[in-house]
Amino acid sequence: MNTLDIQHLSKRFANARFAAVNDISLALKNGEILALVGPSGCGKTTTLRLVAGLERPDAGEIHLNGRVVASDTVFVPPEQRGVGLVFQDHALFPHLTVSENIAFGLRGRKSAEIRTTVNEMLELVGLTGLASRYPHALSGGERQRVALARALAPRPVLVLMDEPFSSLDADLRGAVREQVRSILKAMQATVIFVTHDQEEALYMGDRLALINQGRVEQIGAPEEIFHTPATRFVAEFMGASDFLRGEAIPEGIRTEVGWLPQPAFVSQPVQVEIALRADDVDFELSETGNAVIVERFFRGAFNVYRLRLDSGQVLHAFKEHTQILPVGARVRAYISAGHPLAVFQNGQVVSNGADYYKKGAEPAPFL
Amino acid sequence: MQRTLAYWFVASTGRKSPTSPWLAIAAGLTALFVAIPLVYIFFRAAGAEPAAWQRLLQARLWQLLGNTLLLVVAVTCGALVTGVSMAWLTERTDLPGRNVLRAMLALPLAIPAYIGGIVHLALLRPRGGLIPLALEEIIGRPVATPSPLGFWGAAFILTLFTYPYVYLLSGAAFRSLHASLEEAARSLGRTPWQTFWQVTLPALRPGLMAGALLVALDILAEYGTVALLRYETFSSAIFVQLAGRYDRSAASVLSAVLVILAILILWAELRVQGQRRFTQIESNWRPAIRITLGKWRWSAFLLVASVVSASLLVPLGVLIGWSLQAFADPQTLEAVFRAGSRGFGSFVWNSLWTSLLAALLATALSLPVALLSVRYPSRISRFIARFCQVGYALPGVVIALSLVLLINRTLPFLYATPLVVVLAYVLRHMPQAVRSSESALNQLSPSLEEAARTLGRTPLQTLFQVTLPLILPGLLAGAALVFLTSLKELPATLLLRPPGFDTLAVRVWVWAGEGFYVQAAPAALILVLAAALPLSFLLRQEQIFSDSSIS
Repeated sequence: MNTLDIQHLSKRFANARFAAVNDISLALKNGEILALVGPSGCGKTTTLRLVAGLERPDAGEIHLNGRVVASDTVFVPPEQRGVGLVFQDHALFPHLTVSENIAFGLRGRKSAEIRTTVNEMLELVGLTGLASRYPHALSGGERQRVALARALAPRPVLVLMDEPFSSLDADLRGAVREQVRSILKAMQATVIFVTHDQEEALYMGDRLALINQGRVEQIGAPEEIFHTPATRFVAEFMGASDFLRGEAIPEGIRTEVGWLPQPAFVSQPVQVEIALRADDVDFELSETGNAVIVERFFRGAFNVYRLRLDSGQVLHAFKEHTQILPVGARVRAYISAGHPLAVFQNGQVVSNGADYYKKGAEPAPFL
Repeated sequence: MQRTLAYWFVASTGRKSPTSPWLAIAAGLTALFVAIPLVYIFFRAAGAEPAAWQRLLQARLWQLLGNTLLLVVAVTCGALVTGVSMAWLTERTDLPGRNVLRAMLALPLAIPAYIGGIVHLALLRPRGGLIPLALEEIIGRPVATPSPLGFWGAAFILTLFTYPYVYLLSGAAFRSLHASLEEAARSLGRTPWQTFWQVTLPALRPGLMAGALLVALDILAEYGTVALLRYETFSSAIFVQLAGRYDRSAASVLSAVLVILAILILWAELRVQGQRRFTQIESNWRPAIRITLGKWRWSAFLLVASVVSASLLVPLGVLIGWSLQAFADPQTLEAVFRAGSRGFGSFVWNSLWTSLLAALLATALSLPVALLSVRYPSRISRFIARFCQVGYALPGVVIALSLVLLINRTLPFLYATPLVVVLAYVLRHMPQAVRSSESALNQLSPSLEEAARTLGRTPLQTLFQVTLPLILPGLLAGAALVFLTSLKELPATLLLRPPGFDTLAVRVWVWAGEGFYVQAAPAALILVLAAALPLSFLLRQEQIFSDSSIS
């Protein structure tokens, strides 16, 4: 039995032109972390609030541990759902101490039990010494961990986290992220984690669900999403891709930078776009080449070059940090991926090498 | 059914789950409650026989309108100039003694304008005023001194006791203004003077407008001072009709015109309020550099000191002097304590309990209105919140008139009980409670309430365990404001009190009217001190007393 089952969930706010959540279906197994990722305003937070019971869906059903909590006829209010929610702004009660905050969800239990649970949670999140502090006397990272402890203390069937790291400084975020993931795994919590940061999603999620304009674009393991994006949107959102135009025939694709012998499932020649990340492209200095260097960005460990092909198409390419070439130099750009690439026709994938990644098959011959 | 009603309330905006119908009903009832006197006045005015209209249109109306508007404009301008310059001098310059002066400039709010008027009148009266008499003594012949009577006197006195509204709002704006804003103007080639006119003042404009319009509403409603200084406005004319000639039709007609005038100003004020942004002091906020006054230092100090003297020190000093005089003279002392049916203690107690009850009721009633408008924003909830501020546009005399008429007709058992007085205070001062509750709720993140819900609390438990404890300081501020203004209220109390029911304000007014200044002084002093308590609580919330954020 799945911990969470969402079926055909829809929600549209009054006076909004588009549905915030548009026919979303998801399922979560016990102990799994699902990262909902997408641009801001895509409906991921609304999905979370629908699951928590803070919003009422227009259509669809939500099942928690097999129990219907929202449908056309049923609406269980948030206080009866047993779902833990970690807020973007942490929402710690400023009039309560750290331990009172953590104990807030434990009301109705024996006081000895409450004390033990609070102490356990404090230990788990590493804040034993701060039990009697008030939230305003905590650092950002500490607040984050109190918010997590408060949500976990009642042992919720499901933990929902709404961009929980977005209020932290960048250098703190990395460290807190690691702590939180290990705490969640230690608790074997089932979690939905909302973020707009693709890197964070890749790190936190056992699986990722990409949301765009209220719809699920793709669900899968982080590697699957990254290597074999199902739509142009996914390729664009996960790891800045350039889209190189080409003409696909069944044997391969003709492009401005050469022939890509990756089979495409087309019956007649069609215009397609190939998603290329900077590590898929290479170039060499050549007077008779097909591109010029427009700009170089020094990133410390490597250089990123921006190239403009003769057609005006822009591509990015990595070079080692010692390889410094002059802007304006003429170069020959080529695809150096060494693995299948995602190819889209009208935004939908027509070839992405899914078989290659699944079966570990021999790669087709490339350039 | 419940769902449709609820959806009706959230028709225009999104994000929130449907409104609790109970909340909507409570807020709606509050709005209905404040609507009654307003609607009734228009109803009565429309029902007045044409002859009454005719009479008023021919004889009185235009003159009253001219008088009233002239005073409103003069005092508003005076309060703006005084308020802004005092705020600038204490917040932005190296004025000597600015920390003490900053608090003293706000304290005249604790002195009802009519008490200030009584003191200044006693001092400056053309015949028999203390200052002309003293001058005559010294020089040996009568000297012409400016008279506090009439238009200029009223404008002067009312400016002295209303400028603190503008002063407080612009002072807060000066404090929260980003220093970098002015620095940017300087780096773009503006002189300090140009910067003030082109950057600082425009940035303060919403706050100044709000303050100015509040002053204007206050002047429209003012009765005591204008009656004392014999300058006739709508409020005093209505009072005379009501108290003296019992011409209720004429009073209704005049009230309707006055209320329309006030509603226009209130409408402008609400619009300005809507434009005001919550200026949050960010972490990188730093105060602007103080301007060095140099050789102007002491002239500026004299200017501020004279404002403080005229509006605070002189009235307080005179009241204290008179009180000492009263205590020194056994006969006067006897009169002070034996006055009225039950004596001094009874009218102190009456003032306190009516104002306190009004503060509690107004705050309690404001809560559902504020909850609905802040947590479930929609066109209707916003309308209810705006509508509940109509009390600002209902001068005390108008509320008194409509309550007299209404209660006579519908709830005669309430007539001539002190509860009617409390009712008038609640109606008149509800806006302050609504605004305080709204701003307190606005600063409370809804995620705190949602967190309580996901941790197993019902909406009602959430209200009592999370929302109320956290907005309590804001609610208290609102209650303090209602208490303060109810304590100072005069015309409605005069008109609505049962026979023999005296409050401090009434006693001071009656005694001073009979010329017993010394006898009135102890009551006036206690009234001012009682008003200063909630005021200092409010000023502390405004951080006017602490220099930590500024130095």
